[in-house]
Amino acid sequence: MSWAGPDNFPATSTSLADNLDKKLLVILRDGRRIIGILRSFDQFANVVLEGAVERSIVEELYCDLPLGLYIIRGENVVLIGELDLEKEELPAFMVAVTHAEIKQAQKVEKDGEEHNKVDHKVQNVTTNK
Amino acid sequence: MLFFSYFKELVGKEVVVELKNDLAISGILHSVDQYLNIKLENTRVVDDTKYPHMLSVKNCFIRGSVVRYVQLPPDGVDVDILHDATRREARGG
Repeated sequence: MSWAGPDNFPATSTSLADNLDKKLLVILRDGRRIIGILRSFDQFANVVLEGAVERSIVEELYCDLPLGLYIIRGENVVLIGELDLEKEELPAFMVAVTHAEIKQAQKVEKDGEEHNKVDHKVQNVTTNK
Repeated sequence: MLFFSYFKELVGKEVVVELKNDLAISGILHSVDQYLNIKLENTRVVDDTKYPHMLSVKNCFIRGSVVRYVQLPPDGVDVDILHDATRREARGG
């Protein structure tokens, strides 16, 4: 397979070549958001990100965790978004917090969701008489 | 191959892609490939207050394996042509 340049692709070929050396947001199947510069990719959507950062967001709190040079296996990739450098990545009201604080906030959010799930279970039991 | 050809016909139209993680993104279909990976332009998350990460993302690549639905414009499909193509594919495939 010869290395295809930008001219070799037919009109409807989905290629990440246009995104090379750009700052991208990668959303993973486990819900993580990784931001980094695309250095390489392949047909399975495996990607190499340089200067990768994991961005965690809980309501108005956010935290960036630096990761360095990352290879992400394509099967975990949900979406790869091109970040517009001129636009603000995050709404202005968001507050930066430490990693420990964001983990605490995530735990609270998760407990809140599980609490709601339990409530639904109780409702089902009472109606299935 | 049928759906790949079908999506190629829809390039340039506005679609809403709903993913298996419940994220719904609307945008203009830029390109599609044999894996039904989708590239959208002018993307906008349908419920953007719930997903603030995507605020400055205007173009994105979506892996085909994570797509649940692709919502099409009501006039986006010529049903008869699609029927014929499906019958041909079923017969010859």
